[in-house]
Amino acid sequence: SGRSGDGGSTLRPLYMDVQATTPLDPRVLDSMLPYLTAYYGNPHSRTHAYGWESEAAMEKARRQVADLIGADSREIIFTSGATESNNMAIKGVARFYKSRKKHIITTQTEHKCVLDSCRSLETEGFRVTYLPVKKNGLIDLKELEAAFQPDTSLVSVMTVNNEIGVKQPIHDIGQICRAHKVFFHTDAAQAIGKIPMDVNDMKIDLMSISGHKIYGPKGVGAIYVRRRPRVRLEPLQSGGGQERGLRSGTVPTPLAVGLGAACEVAQQEMEYDHKRISQLAERLVTKIMSEVPDVVMNGDREHRYPGCINLSFAYVEGESLLMALKDVALSSGSACTSASLEPSYVLRAIGTDEDLAHSSIRFGIGRFTTEEEVDYTVQKCIQHVKRLREMSPLWEMVQDGIDLKSIKWTQH
Amino acid sequence: VAVGDAVPSQVVDHYENPRNVGSLDRNAKNVGTGLVGAPACGDVMKLQVEVDENGKIVDARFKTFGCGSAIASSSLATEWVKGKTIDEALKIKNTDIAKELCLPPVKLHCSMLAEDAIKAALADYKLKQDPNKEESEKKA
Repeated sequence: SGRSGDGGSTLRPLYMDVQATTPLDPRVLDSMLPYLTAYYGNPHSRTHAYGWESEAAMEKARRQVADLIGADSREIIFTSGATESNNMAIKGVARFYKSRKKHIITTQTEHKCVLDSCRSLETEGFRVTYLPVKKNGLIDLKELEAAFQPDTSLVSVMTVNNEIGVKQPIHDIGQICRAHKVFFHTDAAQAIGKIPMDVNDMKIDLMSISGHKIYGPKGVGAIYVRRRPRVRLEPLQSGGGQERGLRSGTVPTPLAVGLGAACEVAQQEMEYDHKRISQLAERLVTKIMSEVPDVVMNGDREHRYPGCINLSFAYVEGESLLMALKDVALSSGSACTSASLEPSYVLRAIGTDEDLAHSSIRFGIGRFTTEEEVDYTVQKCIQHVKRLREMSPLWEMVQDGIDLKSIKWTQH
Repeated sequence: VAVGDAVPSQVVDHYENPRNVGSLDRNAKNVGTGLVGAPACGDVMKLQVEVDENGKIVDARFKTFGCGSAIASSSLATEWVKGKTIDEALKIKNTDIAKELCLPPVKLHCSMLAEDAIKAALADYKLKQDPNKEESEKKA
């Protein structure tokens, strides 16, 4: 496989990290090209054909996004990505209703941009409840019920978790929020286009969408903002009032077109993709677990998106396994936690023992993943886990019948 | 924690071409065993040395639970202690290990743990040689 600076090698690693980002679907690229070349008008220019054709493309894309989630196109606002959408939803709603409502509910396993937005609001005087999750990664609906306060303005729970793939009970959460007359926001970046989502069915009031998680371009996303009943939010970005005044700035037509196309393609391919990805995921997990003992799958086995598999290989450290699997692009926990030396906060939230948290690898299976790629990854994984266990003092101690929990380890 | 910018080739080499992985007989009188680190920290090194009657380290083995840099640091440590006297081996500094492996700042603690492992193994050996001291169940 090729590494940067490696003279001459043209092979690149297999890509098994789709939760981090996805390649552009060729059909999405096709849709974008005209707007990157000939049709370069500003979609907000009202006075000439360049503007009009650009606007038409943008509106078509808006409808495509809306169709995927059962929304009206007037409820879709283009943003720079799900991070911005999450910031808008949480800060925007909280600040708009702050005269009467000061409380927000979210979970401990949300994406960093949600958690950080909440933390930022706490410094503004808001109160936030960070709901814990059960060992399987799902929230306890009774705890959610109990968390509501008279001044709760928003509940934010992600649909599919990017690290362990668990799927929260969105239907039930939506129902509970409606009953309490509290807005329900969900970060659906890892979910839309992969599992069916309907904002009315699920009683969702705000939804964050990411382009580059669904084979669309990077740098674009969207936020769904319900019109009936009306959700108001204070804009983050001031300017010329584009996107219904909620998000000023020129909408990047080629990117919006790409997002729209990605949504339309996803809608067409959803059933087939899901079936194929489920089969490949089953294959990967079954093969690894039948060959290697002491492997734990993190997160609920059933309530999950199959294409995101997080496994802990006891007695083997995750980063060493990633180094050993140099022909495969994988990740240990999310990219956002990679800067710190701490194990993943998501794994900590589901109660994973710290040593197992250091031993986890995330496998991502996507639309373009082949059976051969899965088989190769499985084979290499089995080979190197066995090898690293031979090098592991922990494995040696366990084989000798020592209980690792009884050891007094040195502090460092 | 994701692998940082291209893992230095020296580090990868220690995994792909391991030297001195394994175990010596921890019950032998001339073997010192050091076990440092903690699973909760993601770094555990076991380093063993075999010392001859002249106080020279004639063999060394290691096993490590940790990232590539940790494996490489402990592997390099076993290479360096071989052929040295105990006093010479005690002079091995983590900064030398880090320099040899081109460890980035975020991985310096791996070299520190390797230095600790050497010292722990030699301390264990010394303890075993002194018949007057009670051999406490030193796990570190």
